[in-house]
Amino acid sequence: MTRDGHDRRARRRGQGELEAQVLAVLCEAPGPVTAAWVQERIGDSLAYTTVVTILTRLLAKGAVTRARDGRSFLWTPAADGAGLAALRMRKVLDGETDREAVLSRFVTALPPGDEQLLRDLLEQAGQPDDAAGPDEG
Amino acid sequence: MGVFVFLPLVLPLTAWPVARLAEQHLHPRTATRLLTAVGGVMAVCSTLCLALLMVVGTAQLPGNPLPDGWSDPEVRAAVPHDEVAGKAAIPALAAVLVACARVVLRHHRVPRRARRALAGLRAPGVAVVPDTVPYAYALPGGDRDRVVVTTGLLSLLTPPERRALFAHERAHLAGRHHRHLLVARLAARANPFLLPLSRAVAYSTERWADEDAARTVRDRRVVARAIGKAALVSRPAPSPTLAGLAAPGPVPRRVAALLRPAPSARTWPPVGTGAGLAAWAAAVGTAVSAMSSANSAVTMIRILHAATFL
Repeated sequence: MTRDGHDRRARRRGQGELEAQVLAVLCEAPGPVTAAWVQERIGDSLAYTTVVTILTRLLAKGAVTRARDGRSFLWTPAADGAGLAALRMRKVLDGETDREAVLSRFVTALPPGDEQLLRDLLEQAGQPDDAAGPDEG
Repeated sequence: MGVFVFLPLVLPLTAWPVARLAEQHLHPRTATRLLTAVGGVMAVCSTLCLALLMVVGTAQLPGNPLPDGWSDPEVRAAVPHDEVAGKAAIPALAAVLVACARVVLRHHRVPRRARRALAGLRAPGVAVVPDTVPYAYALPGGDRDRVVVTTGLLSLLTPPERRALFAHERAHLAGRHHRHLLVARLAARANPFLLPLSRAVAYSTERWADEDAARTVRDRRVVARAIGKAALVSRPAPSPTLAGLAAPGPVPRRVAALLRPAPSARTWPPVGTGAGLAAWAAAVGTAVSAMSSANSAVTMIRILHAATFL
């Protein structure tokens, strides 16, 4: 995961991958750890402040939790890499007011009037083949 | 040029009957391709004519930075009602260009943000996202096409229904449906009369993927059940505008279509039927639109050539 360890490359990798990387390190930790521990594990590619920034961002997303330990914080993962992807994905979708217009989703939301109609159709879909007549919907 | 320059602006109306009838009478693949092609050509012609009208309009602006010959009376005389039409074309063309630019930006921005969100997941092909909110969609990205689906949705479906879901999303990616959708959306921004066409393309791409999925899993009912279950657990539409009066939405229509026999893969409906006539009307409308805009463009170039001694 840390195959390209240089600072500039790390920055170019972008926020998404850095968050995933920090979270992956945190998931490997034996227990709650400090930001310095995370930075050490990631290698010299990230500044301490960058690690803290990313951890804070993960905290805002609900992907990590922290507890005060003396003058510093101890960090614990609340989600794994896939969980973080889910949180970020939901943010992308919620951010698009007209999201059906961009990503073609499996289904679009049902207007209230359609629900009963759909239930009737599904009842028909559950029956054996010969029971289905022509549909006038 | 005369009235020809106005024709492509209103000829999209000839495609309304086929946009309405395609759903019932054409194979969704045929419908998608036909409607996309008709919409794309008509949008280009309409925008071209808007640009020609804008040339006439800019010639009237005081202190326009164009060559003197540009405001030659002959240029203006080429268009009837040049005062109104020419001036109205300037903001109209600007609005079209801005709207189209926004569509293109969004078309690239949202998938890019989605890909970035999934950056931590290494599995190619399918991204299963642990989320209780049920959703699924196809994320196009060149050689990194992905199907994104939540555990919330998968847990509701039986294994055959899951296969139907994946087959549906893969059909979107294999058919490059997002390109059809982009053309249709741009067309609707270029000329609002093409909006029904755009909606019909959005629907027929879904139907196309449904039919492909039905063929893959060899069971139309399984696909119907997967769609129905997914729709029933999805969040309701935020603003039910006139829901009581509206015709059934896309989901019940898709399910009903899957409960009927598979549509025939015939490429063109017979001429005698309503759908056949509608398809021909759209084809003729497109051809007339193309010829009128070509005619107008050539006339305008000739006039300008003569007026500005290019």
